[in-house]
Amino acid sequence: MEKAKISASQLFILMILFQLSNSLLIPLAINAGRDSWLAIIIAMIVSIFLFSVYQALYQYYPALLPTDYMEKLIGKVFGRTLAFLYILFFLFSAARVLREFGVMLLSLAFPETPLFVMSALLILVVVYTVYKGIEVVARTGELLFVVMGLLGLFLLLLIAISGLIDISNLKPFLEEPSKVIKTAFTETLYVPFGEIIVFTMIFPYLNQARKLKKTAIFAIGTTGVILALTMALNISVLGLALTERALFPLLSTIQSIEVGEFLERVDVIFVLILVIGGFFKVSVYVYGAVIGTASLFNIKEPSRLAYPLGMVVLLLSMIVANNYPQHLQEGLKVFPLYAQLPFQVIIPVLLLIIAFFKNKKT
Amino acid sequence: MSYRKFLKKMNRKEQSQDLEKDDPKSIDTSLTENLNIIKEKTGNSPDIIIRIISFGHDPKVRTAIIYADGLVDNPTINEYLVESMENNVQEKLHGKDPFTILSEKVVALGSVKTAKDWDSLFQSLLSGDTVILMDGKNEALIGSTKGGERRSIEQPDSEVSIRGSKEGFTESIATNISLVRRIINNPNLWVEPMNLGKQTKTDVSIMYINGIADNDTVEEVRHRLRRVNLDSILDSGYIEQVIEDESIGLFPTIIHTERPDAAAGNLLEGRIAIFVNGSPNALIVPAVMIQFFQTPEDYYMRFPISTFIRQLRVLMYLISLIGPALYVAITTYHQEMIPTGLLIIIASQTDSVPFPAIVEALIMEVTFEILREAGLRMPNKISSTISIVGALVIGQGAIQAGIVSPAMVIVVSVTAIASLATPSYDIAISARLIRFAFMLSAAIAGFYGIILGLIMLTVHLVSLRSFGVPYISPLAPFEPGNIKDTILRAPLWALNERPKFLSAKNRVRQGKNQRPQVPMSQGMVRADTKEGDKNEF
Amino acid sequence: MNFKWIISCFMIICLTLLSGCWSSKELTDLGIISAYALDKNEDGEYVGTFQIINPMNVPGSLQGGASGQRPAVTTFTETGVNPTELSNRASRKISRDLYYSHTSLLVISEELARDEGLSAILDSMERALEFRATAKVVITRGIKAGDFIKVLTGIDQIPAENVLKTLDSTEKLYGENINTNLQEFIQSLTSTGKEPLVSGFSLLGDMEKGKTMEQLHSTDFDAILEANGLAVFKEGKLVNWLDGEKARGTMWGLNRIHETPVSIDWENHKKAIAYRVIRQKTDVSAQMKDGKPAISITIRAEGDLRTVAVPVDVTDPHVLLAIEKALGQEIKKEVEAAVQEAKENKTDVFGFGEKLHQSEPDVWKKLEQEWQDVSFPELDVDITVEAFIRRTGVRNNPYLFDLEKKSD
Repeated sequence: MEKAKISASQLFILMILFQLSNSLLIPLAINAGRDSWLAIIIAMIVSIFLFSVYQALYQYYPALLPTDYMEKLIGKVFGRTLAFLYILFFLFSAARVLREFGVMLLSLAFPETPLFVMSALLILVVVYTVYKGIEVVARTGELLFVVMGLLGLFLLLLIAISGLIDISNLKPFLEEPSKVIKTAFTETLYVPFGEIIVFTMIFPYLNQARKLKKTAIFAIGTTGVILALTMALNISVLGLALTERALFPLLSTIQSIEVGEFLERVDVIFVLILVIGGFFKVSVYVYGAVIGTASLFNIKEPSRLAYPLGMVVLLLSMIVANNYPQHLQEGLKVFPLYAQLPFQVIIPVLLLIIAFFKNKKT
Repeated sequence: MSYRKFLKKMNRKEQSQDLEKDDPKSIDTSLTENLNIIKEKTGNSPDIIIRIISFGHDPKVRTAIIYADGLVDNPTINEYLVESMENNVQEKLHGKDPFTILSEKVVALGSVKTAKDWDSLFQSLLSGDTVILMDGKNEALIGSTKGGERRSIEQPDSEVSIRGSKEGFTESIATNISLVRRIINNPNLWVEPMNLGKQTKTDVSIMYINGIADNDTVEEVRHRLRRVNLDSILDSGYIEQVIEDESIGLFPTIIHTERPDAAAGNLLEGRIAIFVNGSPNALIVPAVMIQFFQTPEDYYMRFPISTFIRQLRVLMYLISLIGPALYVAITTYHQEMIPTGLLIIIASQTDSVPFPAIVEALIMEVTFEILREAGLRMPNKISSTISIVGALVIGQGAIQAGIVSPAMVIVVSVTAIASLATPSYDIAISARLIRFAFMLSAAIAGFYGIILGLIMLTVHLVSLRSFGVPYISPLAPFEPGNIKDTILRAPLWALNERPKFLSAKNRVRQGKNQRPQVPMSQGMVRADTKEGDKNEF
Repeated sequence: MNFKWIISCFMIICLTLLSGCWSSKELTDLGIISAYALDKNEDGEYVGTFQIINPMNVPGSLQGGASGQRPAVTTFTETGVNPTELSNRASRKISRDLYYSHTSLLVISEELARDEGLSAILDSMERALEFRATAKVVITRGIKAGDFIKVLTGIDQIPAENVLKTLDSTEKLYGENINTNLQEFIQSLTSTGKEPLVSGFSLLGDMEKGKTMEQLHSTDFDAILEANGLAVFKEGKLVNWLDGEKARGTMWGLNRIHETPVSIDWENHKKAIAYRVIRQKTDVSAQMKDGKPAISITIRAEGDLRTVAVPVDVTDPHVLLAIEKALGQEIKKEVEAAVQEAKENKTDVFGFGEKLHQSEPDVWKKLEQEWQDVSFPELDVDITVEAFIRRTGVRNNPYLFDLEKKSD
């Protein structure tokens, strides 16, 4: 662990930026059809329970990183192996985000540029940031959060002025309730809400431990509401059919903006949201991996790991899938079941049970 | 690591050198001997004036008045020293200590002290004091006679005052300290003198308000100043460069000002001022970035106007950072963003331009930087010629020759004006350099490059600290209480607290009910209002 | 420490040099397409025509020495088996990269729309990011789309812009044409409960003369582009044209009327009173009536009297009420005719199906498959129109009224 502290408001902002990032752009919970917003809200509520598992574990060991207390809970060999797996999980998640981000950028504005170059430029900035430590990540978050907020408001204003919103596109309500529930539990719970597992690596830096619960729940709630609103907005502007077919519905929404004769194709707003979001998500994941590795292998200067691990993420992102549809399929079918479900839900719950009994004895 | 070792080595060498010399440390009893030493040490410089007077009678005592010509106030020496000594020539010295009489009765100067060692004697002599040596006494009397020709207090050139005080700091440290003292009449305004520079022995003073400034920060400033081991200190810029936190980056982490009111305002917020003799600029630490977009005038005007102007300045800074980069990115990557009509106009202009947009932008920017530098260093008469030539070259020639497009000229000039309008030269100059980096990144990856550059810049800025204070305070880390005085300027009656990030103690600045209590409405008057309620016209 | 810096510097330098501006395009390399027209030839290949802007010749551009003397646009024609092939093949003729991001008009010929359908073409427009989702679509009537965009226009010298502005203003002021953009078109094309409508355009006059600069040198143009009717689509193919009152009735039903004149007969005077709608609101709702879906359309129109060519006392509220009623009837007649036409064509251009889907999802599921062909033509549509006269212009009674009094 590095010697640093972040405040509750900084954690709040980091969590929001982290969860919003790529989830704002993709057709989140679109399998739930018009009620995708409802699926998001449901997943959000369930994820609050999931968070309380993480939080309970944190309460047992408020000053330790998960990679450290795993060792205490299930022994040296298993604990260290598990910690190592978690680090791999973080790296892999970072690589997936990076890939998604790179593809969006290419299909958006730079079709002729190789994916590697675009990803490498971003990973350079990420490495620089992670190298500077968690305090710098948090402060950068504070500034960019304001930028994101202003952009969001501006966008909403433009869409409202253009008169694009047609609420009747959201009707009929609850056409297929079973789909909503299924989507909420099999997809949306893991991305983006379950991804806060990486924040267990950051919780120990919080300067006021008792504020954690309130802050995190508030952050999850805010994210859920923003995401639900975004999807509702997309569907009400584009209609269900277009939203389903769009790889990046928010982009299509932005492209339908037409204010006067001059405010058209404000795609740059999308690029801004995309880059800021992608930057944060990858940074937080890489930071989690860096700090975990440092504690696992007793490395004195964690910042030294930023470079090698950044490169690992970059290379992983290149080999993670052959093409974008394959990447999406992995993200919807394989990854949630074999990686996200165990790492985000099952293992933390098991750890909590073990921790409960261990601490009861003593 | 190696740097520290190197320093240690240097220190050791110096000490041993000092020991080797066998200079006389203290003043001798013999006047002749003393005068010889002085002559020898100053190399018989003609501006060190030695005047020998016999003081008193019965017995007469040979006394020498020594001063550095030009550093002293001549009338003072003539009237209060020489005349006074000659008038008292009748004084009977029998049985009394002539030295005590001299210091207590004769010398009619404001400040008189004694010195026993040569170091302090020379220090005083060369800073404009008058030294009086007496035969048979191993002590010197030092009278304060500082004066001589100096620039008087004038309006500062670099920070123009519209509403506020027109006084500016001068090169004299005593004057500068006094200028601040005139504003803050408070015994808690503490000044700590220091002497820095191995050769120049420059006077340096730290000034802060005891009870407001943070003790740790003051200690940190002291510590960093004590570390200074430079040969010479010709300006406060020398000090600035060896005590700042980040010496490689482009952003100033120490603010300097020529205005006493600005210095006073900063002291009252809990900052620390460093004065250096010979420099009209006081250094102020810790500095946060937002300060470079503020001027003392902001506090003198009505708050909505100040708020607007502050935001305008930040906008101008952003324009001067990424103006040309945006143009390059839009015209080479994101043409879809421009409204069709405008695109046609720009396209028709660039049709005859043989260069890619980035080359065009670089040519214009470099030309402009050359023109600016030329105009800055030249005497006024020549610089007007330069501006004419510049206007012709850029405005007319380049466009007519078809080398650059008019749109590019507009972009470059707007950028230039924006960069000139940033109130702090230090921060504006950082933008001048970073602009080129942004232009290149825009040429490489369009908006993506610009955004990555901006994120990188943000990360760099938030990682900076100035004397322990994060550079972007109070925005990041966010201090809700201090946001009132950033790019906003809340009404003066609402600025109740001092910045939290500067000092934890004595936070309350003013009473709570400072909002003016306006008399009753002058438009609609209640029926039971009495006469004299200032409501009838 | 140093090693790391060297690596990072090396990486940055490599990336900057390698990336070498892959996606950058200088303005001088862009052929800005203002309009894109698609036809089909005898061999079954697509024929694309690009209207490319000549920036130097556009009046108002600073250095355009030739502005106003040479046409502001140039057109190129190319064939290809699909739009992508076509677009890239065109590079054999055009010295610059084809740049679609500023294409604001997509012109499709009636033939192509009728025989082939648009589904195949639109996919490539939607998939490629460059094409604006807000580009407008029009169908040419009685002329090839390629010829249509070759005609030079007067007031707005870029023909695409001229067409767009015409379309815009006529929808706003007359209401017989509809301004459909690509996205709206695709939205209704893919919806089972709504069929798209696209404006038609036709050419008046001599096409050949319209292509030359001669055209612009006279006050009376040889060839004029005119908005003409609404094209009705079904399953991606053009099936019918709506003209005149039927077109306007459809626009009423779609809530797309902004301003439009309505004229009524009064006391045996043909079309003697003209009323201009300045604001209207159409509500369409679907509900179940006796186990059958039913649609009710409620129109509230507000406007002024603009022509009163009969002696009638418009200061009398009773008279105004009578006029309002007659106006309501007139509007209702138009809408009824339009609904009737739609039922006959079995094309739900009003989106009644969508309304039903929103209010009665269960019923809709049963009807969805055969909505256009079976359920829609049998739909019970109830129309209510209320017209309100807010002002009578800046005069009260017409002078005819006073003349009549004199003669009495």
